[in-house]
Amino acid sequence: MSLLDKRWLTLIGAASAVAMLSASAMAQDKITVTFANWASAEGTTRDALEKIIADFEAANPNIDIVSETISFSEIARQLVLRARSGNPPDVAQIAGNDTILLAGTGTLEPLDAYPSDQLKANIKPGALSTLTVDGKLIAFPWNQSPAGLWYNKEILKAAGLDPENPPKTIPEITAALEAIHASQPDVIPLGMDTTNRAFALTSNWPWMRVFGAVPVGEGATGANSPEMRAYLTWMRDLAQKGLIEPGRKIGEFRPLAAQGKVAFHWDQVLLQGVIQGTNGMSNEDFYSTWGVTTLPIGPNGTAHTFEGGHQLIMFGNSANKEAAWSFIEYLSTDAAAVDGYTVGVLSSLPSIVATGDPEVDAKLDTPIFNAFSTRVIPTLSPQPYGAEYAAAATAIMAGVQEAVTGNQPIDEIAASMQQQLDK
Amino acid sequence: MTVAELTATTGPARRNAERTPWFDWMVTPTLVVLAVVVGYPIVYTLLLSAQDYNLLDFEPANFVGLDNYTTLFADSIFWTSLLNTAIYSFGSVSISALFGLALALLSENIVGRHSRMVRSLLLMPWAVPFVVVAFLFRYMYLQNGGIINALLLWAGVIAEPVPWLNSASLAMPAVMVANIWAMTPFFFLLLSAALSAIPNEVIEAARVDRAKTWSMVFHIKLPFLRNPLLIGSLLMLIANFNDFAKIWAMTQGGPGYSTSTLVIYVYRLAFENFEFGYASAMGVIWLLLLLVFAVAYLRALRMG
Repeated sequence: MSLLDKRWLTLIGAASAVAMLSASAMAQDKITVTFANWASAEGTTRDALEKIIADFEAANPNIDIVSETISFSEIARQLVLRARSGNPPDVAQIAGNDTILLAGTGTLEPLDAYPSDQLKANIKPGALSTLTVDGKLIAFPWNQSPAGLWYNKEILKAAGLDPENPPKTIPEITAALEAIHASQPDVIPLGMDTTNRAFALTSNWPWMRVFGAVPVGEGATGANSPEMRAYLTWMRDLAQKGLIEPGRKIGEFRPLAAQGKVAFHWDQVLLQGVIQGTNGMSNEDFYSTWGVTTLPIGPNGTAHTFEGGHQLIMFGNSANKEAAWSFIEYLSTDAAAVDGYTVGVLSSLPSIVATGDPEVDAKLDTPIFNAFSTRVIPTLSPQPYGAEYAAAATAIMAGVQEAVTGNQPIDEIAASMQQQLDK
Repeated sequence: MTVAELTATTGPARRNAERTPWFDWMVTPTLVVLAVVVGYPIVYTLLLSAQDYNLLDFEPANFVGLDNYTTLFADSIFWTSLLNTAIYSFGSVSISALFGLALALLSENIVGRHSRMVRSLLLMPWAVPFVVVAFLFRYMYLQNGGIINALLLWAGVIAEPVPWLNSASLAMPAVMVANIWAMTPFFFLLLSAALSAIPNEVIEAARVDRAKTWSMVFHIKLPFLRNPLLIGSLLMLIANFNDFAKIWAMTQGGPGYSTSTLVIYVYRLAFENFEFGYASAMGVIWLLLLLVFAVAYLRALRMG
């Protein structure tokens, strides 16, 4: 080997060493934020989430987001186990009772200090109150997805009902359901989730409240109360007349709704996206076919609904809290993220009033979104979330199932339900 | 062989047996593996069952002695679940065994190419994963749009759709039908093999004695099938006692508690309510019940 060759080799070796060292230094400078979520587990949301993550990483080159895929039904269990073992992710997607359940473990980072005043002023009224536990903000609302009473105007018209004047009281809706069943026996008059799971109680809770029943939680009157018995009797009446189809999950009614086989459907704001995604209906056709209103009022004169949106939590032992917060803020408030995921894919509402992008804000000005924002969201009622919620849900929904599928006297069902709640 | 010869050969053997050490070091790796994968979970479950251990409570769990067991014996859902487990397991196994036996006897004399085809068709349900079976039947049972209701309505057997899985009285039989459909091929396979193992001389002798078909079945074949039937039934009883996938996928234990079995109830307690202490107490009772079947199974094996 000549002297010149040796010099070249030395030079190349030195250059490689410098390159490796600088790459290593850059890697060390880069912050990794782990993000446990179910959005990347589901075909409808995976691509949109991956794009948002890529956009965020491009805008924040020093932050690397590692998405950890966990299914919706498993995420609470896995997060509790990981929190117990001291190995939780930095950020996680969560919803419903699971948010409060995890807050109860004391492992979440309070988020009160993170949002700027400007952001706080832009958050929708009431969006943070249900996520405040013991005076601390334990999660940030990624999106809002309250439930409304959807109605198919074509089916109502065919039943001789006024499609622009949906029922406003329990007797009115009962009469409407009977009229629909009589005129169109192949249509499910009312789609309601009557499965035995925590979400089913969340979904049924507003109906119970309409009857004045508060089986558990703050101001509870118990399951063996006249109000609860009235609710159970009404549910049994609906089932016996064939006005509801017991045993189906909320999601199982959606394809049927897209086929025009469900007249009224108690479902979240995302139903529009599911229907249009299934049958390819245009916006114009959708708005002329479907309407949404509040739950009918009962004897106590108030309507109720539940918030089915998703939240983002940060774990207290995250080593990169600032980076984690900037990711949470980006997912929830960035105009592109709101457009590409919350509105575009989930058909849900952002938790902020305005994104700052006129085009995106214009997309939120639709008859359905406006109905949810102005009429449905004001009827949001708190749920009795907490560590005991899952056990209560099992006891209550088992009672509801017994009422809608069996012949046991309602008094006995209510008493047995209370017995289970007292355990 | 004379008595003296017998004594001569068995004497040293007995002495050898007497010299065999009570513990062979060669089994140590097996014992270590068993201790880790079987012993540790059992001991830990026993310990948990004596604590008020809730996964959401980060404070150390308290020792509560037999409190979980006292609560359990007063828990009406536990007794309902136990009864449902018994109905589901014994009902499914006995009916599947009967169907399997009938199919094995009926297909015994089919020979040639047709035999292979018939046997393959009969065995097909056994090859379908249990979760697929559950979803298959769940959709077939649908009140609106399910093929079972559609066929029955078309045939005029029913006037309106039947809520198979959504009726407190029909749900358990409906789930059992799916289970029986999936399990019958196991008994068919087992009993077909046992039938083919009956010595030809016995069958020929019965024919010479002019035994009629029923007489042949009851006096010749069934006695030969008794042991495989017993062993297979015990094995399936244990499997059905632990069957989670089919029931969970079809009814999640509902409506109400009408299809809630022990395994479903334990799952809800442990993984929905995070009550690991109470769920462990139920797991211990469940383990004891399974031990009874396991001992019966081992005895049957030894007898067989």
